[in-house]
Amino acid sequence: MSTDDVVTVRGLVKTFGAVRALDGLDLAVAPGEVHGFLGPNGAGKSTTLRVLLGLVRADAGSVRLLGGDPWHDATRLHGRLAYLPGDVSLWPGLTGGQCLDVLAAARGGLVESRRRELVERFDLDPTKRARDYSKGNRQKVALVAALAADAELLLLDEPTAGLDPLMERTFQDVVHERRADGVTVLLSSHLMAEVEALADRVSIIRHGRTVTTGSLADLRRHTRTTVHAVTSTEPTGLRAVTGVADLVIEPAGPHTDVRFSVDADHLDDAVGRLHAARLHTLTVQPPSLDTLFLRSYDSDAPGAPPDDGAHAGRVDDSIPEVDGRHRAGRGAR
Amino acid sequence: MTGLGPLLRIRWRTMRRSALVWVLALVGTMAATAVSVAELYDTPTKVQTYADAIATDALVAVNGRVEGLDTLGGIVQDEFGFLAAFLMPLLGVGLVTAATRREEESGRLEQLLAGRVDRRAPVLASLVVVVVTVVVTMVGFAVSLVAAGVPTEGSVLYSLSLGALALVFAALAALLAQVVLHARAVYGVALAVLAVAYVFRGVGDVRGWWVVWLSPLGWAERTAPFGEPRWWVLLVPLVVAVLLAGAAVVLAARRDLGSALWRGGAGPERASTLLQRPLGLAWALQRGSFVGWLVGSTVLAAVMGSLAQEVVDALTGNPALEVYISLGDDPADGFLAMVVLYLAILGIGYVVQALGILRQEETEGRLEPQLAGTVARTRWLGAHLGVVLAGLVVILGASSAVLGLTSASVTGVGSVWPVVGAGLAYVPAVIVVAGLAAALFGLLPRGYVAAWGVFGGVTFIAFLGAGLQMPQWLLDVSPTTHVGTPPQGDVSGVALAVLVVVAAALTAAGVVGFRRRDVPRG
Repeated sequence: MSTDDVVTVRGLVKTFGAVRALDGLDLAVAPGEVHGFLGPNGAGKSTTLRVLLGLVRADAGSVRLLGGDPWHDATRLHGRLAYLPGDVSLWPGLTGGQCLDVLAAARGGLVESRRRELVERFDLDPTKRARDYSKGNRQKVALVAALAADAELLLLDEPTAGLDPLMERTFQDVVHERRADGVTVLLSSHLMAEVEALADRVSIIRHGRTVTTGSLADLRRHTRTTVHAVTSTEPTGLRAVTGVADLVIEPAGPHTDVRFSVDADHLDDAVGRLHAARLHTLTVQPPSLDTLFLRSYDSDAPGAPPDDGAHAGRVDDSIPEVDGRHRAGRGAR
Repeated sequence: MTGLGPLLRIRWRTMRRSALVWVLALVGTMAATAVSVAELYDTPTKVQTYADAIATDALVAVNGRVEGLDTLGGIVQDEFGFLAAFLMPLLGVGLVTAATRREEESGRLEQLLAGRVDRRAPVLASLVVVVVTVVVTMVGFAVSLVAAGVPTEGSVLYSLSLGALALVFAALAALLAQVVLHARAVYGVALAVLAVAYVFRGVGDVRGWWVVWLSPLGWAERTAPFGEPRWWVLLVPLVVAVLLAGAAVVLAARRDLGSALWRGGAGPERASTLLQRPLGLAWALQRGSFVGWLVGSTVLAAVMGSLAQEVVDALTGNPALEVYISLGDDPADGFLAMVVLYLAILGIGYVVQALGILRQEETEGRLEPQLAGTVARTRWLGAHLGVVLAGLVVILGASSAVLGLTSASVTGVGSVWPVVGAGLAYVPAVIVVAGLAAALFGLLPRGYVAAWGVFGGVTFIAFLGAGLQMPQWLLDVSPTTHVGTPPQGDVSGVALAVLVVVAAALTAAGVVGFRRRDVPRG
């Protein structure tokens, strides 16, 4: 965690009455990165963003945003960021175009050329009254207002809620462009695929705490590749390869059916052994963050579904320790 | 009808609290009025004094032409007349709107109709709950009247006529909910109908015109419960209510969900520079309620002002009336003072409703993105408070000017400026309530509804304080008491200054609270 981070949150606590919405949350967003902020519903994502905006006051912990204190310097800092709330609500009597301008004006305006371009790309009719918009169209109005802003930091709370896949794609393209312009993005979401497509780094939170955080590459390295092969002879020495687990070798007619999972660093070694046994077919499933994501959520949820065989018993292994902020797996199953 | 049972349970569960509040408030007011009247007018002589004094066109315009004013029940009907004329229709409109078009707007109706529910069941269930509420209210009315010593037959007929009035407006709201797109529009049209009904009843009563019979308020009055009772008149509102409700149910079965007769077309593509400023947005959000209250208060002022000549005639020939309205230099002054106080009450209604929009912005999630911009909390709040204050000055100034103009033109004496001065003299009193509303928004946002309670209390004291001879300490609770009775009485500059200071202190508390609290606070 460097001092010039755009967002630095340490040990953040916020309670609403008896509910502890944030319980020692940590978060660091570096300049120029797209940071995925993942968590299930009710994990505290929106509350964290509200604290970052000075809308809600932290009970404990330290919060820095763009080098300032979000509560005391709220309006000064807000000129440098744009925010998309999780629950978009527009003024029913105004048109979409008017709402867009009003939302943008609240943060100090937008880039005209970008507004025109984004209205076009998101296929928005700005002359319609907001009350007549569908949920997706309301979302688009707020999205354009945020994305057309000339901001250093974008705080996006579940930005693609209600968008169709085509518009989701457009959204991803625009975020890539903004990132290329040097804009930092904090992207809150519960959709792994969206974060995987956009984020450089990811923080996963649950029950108001950070479960894990790290770059996508880090996380990928710590997820496992599943391998399914059919070989002519039984492969030897696989059990001895470091990193191989869940090994199942079964005869399948004249061939041998082999299944196992392996971490990224030892994939080459393992596949070498298969090769030596003369490969017939080979299916390699790339590491999916979904698995990691689900596991981070589930690990002490009561009544969680039993694991599929491939990953049984390796919950703790699958969660990487990055930046010494490993929190999951305590008392897991 | 499929699904009527479950719908009734849902409506009962969601409406019972507001229904209970209505029943308690209405029956409480009626009981208080009846008991006070019974205590004050405990001899036939005193009752006769009241009858002599009140049977003048001025009060007939306000409270209605009550038959049987020389009875205890007649006095209660007269004292309760103005409040009843607004509260009973509001009971019907408020409950029905919340249960019909608001449910449809929020999308909850869609979810219900996706179940095994007849399309007619939701509106029918809402009407049933309102009917039950009205029946309970009527029983409460009748019991409190009889307990205060009013004859049983008159009490029952009077209670029934008030209940029928509420049902007419409930059915009207149910029909409107099928044809307009938004709950606010249902309120708007229903209140406009009520205003027209009030004008027809007022003018008709004073001039003896048949237009009284076009007004639901006139139907309630013409049952004459304390004169020569006309039970058959009850049929008029009941038939009208059944027809309106029937039309609502039929329409509900035939129309598309979420549809309306009138929808707005395309609008401007860009926001004006003004709209992009906090002040401009505040104005855009407040405009609707401002225009509504402005129209309402100027219409009331015009109607009252045009009746000033009748008042002057009555006054010069009836010394007994001086008990209620004493003569000043201008014989119409006492009457004007009363109307100006009513205009101030409307001003209080305006500020409470207008500042309620702030809370609505917060709970509906539109405040958050604004404060996430460079707009400081104080600037946002200041813009709204400024718009509301300016709106109040315009409403009181314009309506009192209309009152002065119409009154001067029909009587040929007096001038406009003292009346405008009188209207504006109430601004400090009204902003005390505005300050209280701002303080609630800043410090206890969830308790904002208490501001409506304050409005109700002030209205109660203003309308019934003099007639019921309330103790001075109770009168002093209301800020309007401290203004005096302009243009008739003297206005104390010190009192106005104190009111301004109180208002400023309350507003400051609200601003400080708002700066410190979490947004949104649920």
